[in-house]
Amino acid sequence: MIRTQGLTKYFGRIRAVDDVALEVAEGEIYGFLGPNGSGKTTTVRMLLGLVLATSGSIEMMGHPMPRRAREVLPEVGSLVEGPAAYPGLSGRANLSLVDAMGPGGSRATRSRRIEEALEEVGLAGVDRRPVRAYSLGMRQRLGLAATLMRRPRLLVLDEPTNGLDPQGIHEVRELLLRLNREGTTIFLSSHLLAEVEQLCHRVGVLDRGRLVLQESLAEIRRPTGRWYVETQDVARARALLDGQVDRIEGDRLVVRHDDSAALNRLLVEGGVRVTALTPERRTLEEVVLKATTDSPDKVVRP
Amino acid sequence: MRPIHRWAVVAGVFVLLALAPMAGRAIPAHDRSLSAGQLLSLVRDGYTAPYSGTVEASGRLGLPFNDRFTDLADLLGGQTRLRVWWRGPDDWRVDRLLDTGEVDLFHHQDVTTQWDYERDEASVGPDPEIRLPRDSDLLPPRLAALLLAGADGSDGSSGSQDESQVSRLGARRIAGRDGLGLRLRVDDPRSSIDHVDLWADASTGTVLAIDVYGAGSVPVLTSAFTSFDSARPTFDVTRFRAPAGVRQHFEPLLDFADAANQYAPLTPPETLAGLARSNRKGRGVGAYGTGPTRLVAIPLQQRDAAVLTDQLYNSGATMRHGQSLLRAGPLGIMLTAIHSPFEFQWLLTGTVTDDTLRRAAAGLARGSSYR
Amino acid sequence: MIAVELTKMLRSRRSWVTIAVIDALPILVAVLLAVTDIGPRPGTGPAFLSAVLTKGELYPLAAVAIVLPLFLPAAVAITAGDAVAGEAQQGTLRYVLVRPVGRTRLLVAKLVSVTAFVLVTLLVVAVTGLVLGVLLLGDSNSATPTTTFSGTDLTTTQLAQRTGLALAYALLSMLGVAAVALFLSTVVRTPLAAAMGTLALLIGSTLLLTLDAAHALRPYLVTRYWLSFVDLFRDPILWHDVVLGVLLQAGYVVLFLAAAWANFMTKDITD
Repeated sequence: MIRTQGLTKYFGRIRAVDDVALEVAEGEIYGFLGPNGSGKTTTVRMLLGLVLATSGSIEMMGHPMPRRAREVLPEVGSLVEGPAAYPGLSGRANLSLVDAMGPGGSRATRSRRIEEALEEVGLAGVDRRPVRAYSLGMRQRLGLAATLMRRPRLLVLDEPTNGLDPQGIHEVRELLLRLNREGTTIFLSSHLLAEVEQLCHRVGVLDRGRLVLQESLAEIRRPTGRWYVETQDVARARALLDGQVDRIEGDRLVVRHDDSAALNRLLVEGGVRVTALTPERRTLEEVVLKATTDSPDKVVRP
Repeated sequence: MRPIHRWAVVAGVFVLLALAPMAGRAIPAHDRSLSAGQLLSLVRDGYTAPYSGTVEASGRLGLPFNDRFTDLADLLGGQTRLRVWWRGPDDWRVDRLLDTGEVDLFHHQDVTTQWDYERDEASVGPDPEIRLPRDSDLLPPRLAALLLAGADGSDGSSGSQDESQVSRLGARRIAGRDGLGLRLRVDDPRSSIDHVDLWADASTGTVLAIDVYGAGSVPVLTSAFTSFDSARPTFDVTRFRAPAGVRQHFEPLLDFADAANQYAPLTPPETLAGLARSNRKGRGVGAYGTGPTRLVAIPLQQRDAAVLTDQLYNSGATMRHGQSLLRAGPLGIMLTAIHSPFEFQWLLTGTVTDDTLRRAAAGLARGSSYR
Repeated sequence: MIAVELTKMLRSRRSWVTIAVIDALPILVAVLLAVTDIGPRPGTGPAFLSAVLTKGELYPLAAVAIVLPLFLPAAVAITAGDAVAGEAQQGTLRYVLVRPVGRTRLLVAKLVSVTAFVLVTLLVVAVTGLVLGVLLLGDSNSATPTTTFSGTDLTTTQLAQRTGLALAYALLSMLGVAAVALFLSTVVRTPLAAAMGTLALLIGSTLLLTLDAAHALRPYLVTRYWLSFVDLFRDPILWHDVVLGVLLQAGYVVLFLAAAWANFMTKDITD
């Protein structure tokens, strides 16, 4: 669905994006992670043809971008760095105008599509007041509605839950999952690990313009081969598993072992009262922190 | 297309557009092998030729006058846009184009009608023998006729020393026509005009542009057609029909020079500073000289003269023995001392040197008589 | 896209406030003239203003002459300066471009929209001018017909035709300003900067026109032929400057639209 090769962007002499090779498959939810200033937004803008790459290539839905933007973009819904709307017009008028601007928006079905989109994002009952009077959350919902107007095959969303309350975040998450089930590919750029972890199939991590990790979430969260053993008999367990215990945290031991069943039998037969035996998995946070260096907005004394 | 190519396109468009206004001028002017004398004859033959067009004239003669002289000061000291239809010396129309209207002169036989749009008035009057310059005098052909009078077209060896000599200049494109260049060098030591350059239409001889030079290298008065047509204008266009509701009032006197000429009790002598009088004798105003050496003496009543004295003084005129003398480029303006018993003063002005003006003033003091 | 831009312009409250502000000046002048009955001295003040006290139906032209030198171009500079920079600042530019709307199409649509704005403004000014002229000004006692500058009578139809021509010329005169402001709007980040830049050009042009030393530049100055619409009221009509004025404006539009295009086509939209 999206494939970039050697995507690089210089702003003057600053290298904002460096040799990025993204791979987003059809039907998946792709989480694009990275700290602020890592080049995420620039990458998203390059995908949409707003910023032109210094070098490298972009292919979306099998077409080169931005050369074939006229064919590609009508099938893409996007939310880039926050929503924007004409402040003097109502939400409906905004949706109608944007729909009329470009290809793919039939006039005959416009008002029906507007109502459906508003319904989906929870703005069905919105009145005629201008967008100027909307709350941040309402604007975010309106922005989402705009992306849905023409049933896109691909959604490119930059921080879509920004400004929403927990209830709103939940609603948006459910909406995205439903759209994905119905076949929409979603490219979700975010700095919220939890959001990505809950939604995405695959993640890419950008750090200082470089793609430092691109893997499926399942792969990332695969068991590490170590086990957490919780017991009141810490000393006994340690004696039994001499050499295999990496770490002890209170009444929890971190144990290297190939087979959980064998480990359990060994402990139980050795008279250790095991209260819990769970596999150790890496969290996304650990992986991301390990892959990335310091936050770029942190300024360290030299 | 890469950005560099796009900007190259823009640069190309810029160059094309910047050159476009010059395209008309880029056509080289076609010269004719005419001697200065032949060209002078062509110009003189062209005095009666019809034409129409628009003219831009620009004067650098800073006259000190205001109020009743305003038109004159604007005419000789500023930019003037004119539009002309010239069917012949007895049938023409000259419009002075203003941003807020226009002032038109319609001339038929001996009568000139002036229509002023903004004042919403039309005045009709006979053409006086003597008058101040008006719009029509700024037309290149009119100005040329005035300055070329008396010029000698021969090779220069035969003419007397005081006569002006003509020589050829290169051709120039003016208003889409070929203009053949002629220079009039003024040899008369009394004249304050150094030379006059003019360009005449190669086919009709109508003067298309004229530059008058005083002492400096910048012309003090230039006038040129910006569009020109040698076809005879239609009868209709030079005819003035007063709009309904506008009364055409009759003006027997055009300006103060006309008034002085008709009614002043003084008359100046037949020659002044060696220049012969060119108008009828016995009238109040004396016009002297010809071509680029011209002088006029106008008697003013003392109360009118007093206003003028103030204006001259405020403009930096030199005052000596009751005389005020001001120079505006080649134009000298002098107000003489008071002549009793009628308490008249002479206004002497013309394209002559200060010295000539002083000689003329002395001549007036001696030779003017009452009529 | 053009239809969308027109809708936006017509539905924007700012357009109408701007038009109202522009219209306020000729309204004020009409009221003052009607109350005091003092016209400007000949040769001073805007064209036609000295004639409207007796001929009220000329007031639409006087009203246009009042707003043409400063009010109208300033409004055009602000409106056209806002065209791209304003959308960028507001954040909507990126959504327009990913909709997708071609960048060239967007520029053309913006120019058309500004032109429509000028047209609406001129029509409003002319219509209020006509209403005020007929109601407040004019001398109902005199049966004097309207005349050209040259003193020939104008029938009502002829007057309407020439007024229409003058309005069309005034509209064309504003296109150069609009193109410059549109170009600057693609260059600078804020609409204010684009408007200021354009106004600087206008003031510079007006100043250079009065300077003899800048004579060689005169044919290129954007304001050079603005007031030539009065030439339509001479008899016969003096087309010379009117034609040059139209060509000059066309030149400005071609050049600055091309420059806007060259700059905007590959511009990184990072707002």
